[in-house]
Amino acid sequence: MKVIEINNVHKIYNETEIPVRAVDGVTLCFDEAEFAAIVGPSGSGKTTLLNLIGGLDSPTSGEILIDGINLSGLKSSELIDFRMMNIGFVFQAYNLIPVLTAKENVEFIMNLQKWSRKERDERTFELLKAVGLYERADSRPAKMSGGQQQRIAVARALASRPRFVLADEPTANLDSKSAATLLEIMEKLNHEEKITFIFSTHDARVVKMAHRVITLEDGKVVSDDVRE
Amino acid sequence: MNMIWKTAWKNVWRNKIRSLVVISSVTIGIFAGVFSIALMNGMIAQRIYNVLDEEISHIQITAKDFRINNDPRLIIENRRETLSKIRAVNGIAAISERVFITGMANSAYKSAGVQIIGIDPESEKQVLGLYKKIIPGTGDYFEKESKFNLVLIGMELAKELNIYRYSVDSSAISRLKEKKLPENIINKLVPLIGKRFINEKQFIKKMNVVFSPGESKKYGLLIREEAGSLRKEARLMLTFLDSDNNQVGAVFRIAGLYNISNSVFEKSNVFVKNEDIKKLTGISDSSFHQLVVKLSDVDQIESIPAALAEKLPELEILSWKKIQPELAIMSDLVKQFYLVFGLIILAALSFGIINTMLMVVLERTRELGMLTAIGMNKRKVFSMIMLESVFLSLSGGVAGMIAGYFLISITAKTGINLSQYSEGFEALGYSSIVYPQITAGFFVIVTILIILTGVFSSIYPALKALKMNPVEAIRSE
Repeated sequence: MKVIEINNVHKIYNETEIPVRAVDGVTLCFDEAEFAAIVGPSGSGKTTLLNLIGGLDSPTSGEILIDGINLSGLKSSELIDFRMMNIGFVFQAYNLIPVLTAKENVEFIMNLQKWSRKERDERTFELLKAVGLYERADSRPAKMSGGQQQRIAVARALASRPRFVLADEPTANLDSKSAATLLEIMEKLNHEEKITFIFSTHDARVVKMAHRVITLEDGKVVSDDVRE
Repeated sequence: MNMIWKTAWKNVWRNKIRSLVVISSVTIGIFAGVFSIALMNGMIAQRIYNVLDEEISHIQITAKDFRINNDPRLIIENRRETLSKIRAVNGIAAISERVFITGMANSAYKSAGVQIIGIDPESEKQVLGLYKKIIPGTGDYFEKESKFNLVLIGMELAKELNIYRYSVDSSAISRLKEKKLPENIINKLVPLIGKRFINEKQFIKKMNVVFSPGESKKYGLLIREEAGSLRKEARLMLTFLDSDNNQVGAVFRIAGLYNISNSVFEKSNVFVKNEDIKKLTGISDSSFHQLVVKLSDVDQIESIPAALAEKLPELEILSWKKIQPELAIMSDLVKQFYLVFGLIILAALSFGIINTMLMVVLERTRELGMLTAIGMNKRKVFSMIMLESVFLSLSGGVAGMIAGYFLISITAKTGINLSQYSEGFEALGYSSIVYPQITAGFFVIVTILIILTGVFSSIYPALKALKMNPVEAIRSE
């Protein structure tokens, strides 16, 4: 079942004298529960493509459909609500809220979605167990290692059971052990929760674990390998 | 607790020192504002209370045009009928009859123009509290029977007419010792023992030689109070016109000196018994110039004069607000002044809060971008920033109000002694001991204004946050 359809999407930045074609005619589809990596050299358009899929940026031309809904047709406020309900984000720099505990960070979106306290608690502890940080529920991000923070960020991204999770270089700031742990957790959750994971990466370990690897160069898809 | 509220509160304490600086400035600003307003409020409330209790009471009734022309022939004649009509109105607590004559008060040394007010002391006690303001040791409020005509005069008039003298004797020294005057100050007074000063001016001149300016300022008033005394068997010659416009003069013994917080009133109003002045002026026993009416409830000050005016159309009925319109206007204006004063303080504080909130938004650009990215809508981002601003202002505001409340509670009992400036205060009719006062309603208004200040201060920083592009914000350092 198709979750994301990207049809001939272009993103051109006109901020300099020579327009930059960050994404240049990309057409892709992602199905439910995919575990896909977007790879490519710096400046190839990986992050831009993720931003376009996540509705954080709008394409210059082409269309992006999520469950058949064209993101370009949504108003700014509708787009924010759409992201809250359908998309989970994992950022390179973790971006947890420093004043909140691990538990509070994870349940933040559920709060925004007005889940009941019981539902929130159940889901939060389920995810904290899944990422192996149940014991650190009351710790603040500053008291945790980078790997632990990123695992909390993954739990937060999955908290409201989104249709898919976008992760921009999730292992870039992690040591190899933490990165391996994170990837195992992400793969396990992808399998258990049937949530599509799409991540941009330079990291060979991530690429190795991905079920599908899309290679971008100069904003164009140069290969799209699906592994068994 | 709602997550937005919880996050906003925790965000306030993210940078503790910065938040404490802002909260402290709000605390100091609100404390200063609340206490200053309580101080002004207390001064004005005391002024109104004193004027009503010591000078004019609630309502005055005279013949038409008496107040303008001050013509002693404009009298109220139908005593019994008039009084019964007044007493028929609900809410009248007491009535006093008065005779008003303009004349001169002459001592052996000086003269002064005065308003001679004839009163029945017992009735007057029911409408005014002047009888409580007799300076101990100078006499009483017509309590003792006397074969002489008696006059009650103000302290300031006594000084003006040089019948109040100053001398430092052993009894004054022992009273000053009782009042804990420092030994070195008392020692400086010793050379003055036995010397007499015929007026306050000369005594002050001498004190300025003996004491340093600081000592004079600090202890001068107390020393003057204890060194001053009324001349023995002091008397005045009061001269005025009788009802046939003949000049009449009579000697009056001083019954006592009164001291209120209005030196102008003290200088220009003397009180005599109705029976004495009526005999001298030829005004009949059943006639008088003025009725002073005290109400059971001062809040009925609008309705009762209207009811009286209906019953007594031939007379002029004036409420205290018409007798002293400047006081009534001040009472109303001051409320607007409080609002403007409060708004100026809050506006000044709001600039500090705006500045802090702008720094907060700038520092948290990436976090705010992340929140927008994960689906926190603009309303919630705005609410979070607004709540942080409100928490900052309200924390300081509540602390300021609590501090203000405690100081007001203490000083409302002890009073704030500004007697160093008593001459200036009393010249304006204000008491030099101020009892700050404030109402619970005032704190409610201040709380609302503080919350509004917090909301107002958050608008610009929050709008800046809303304008952020989440992609750029997340990338920012």
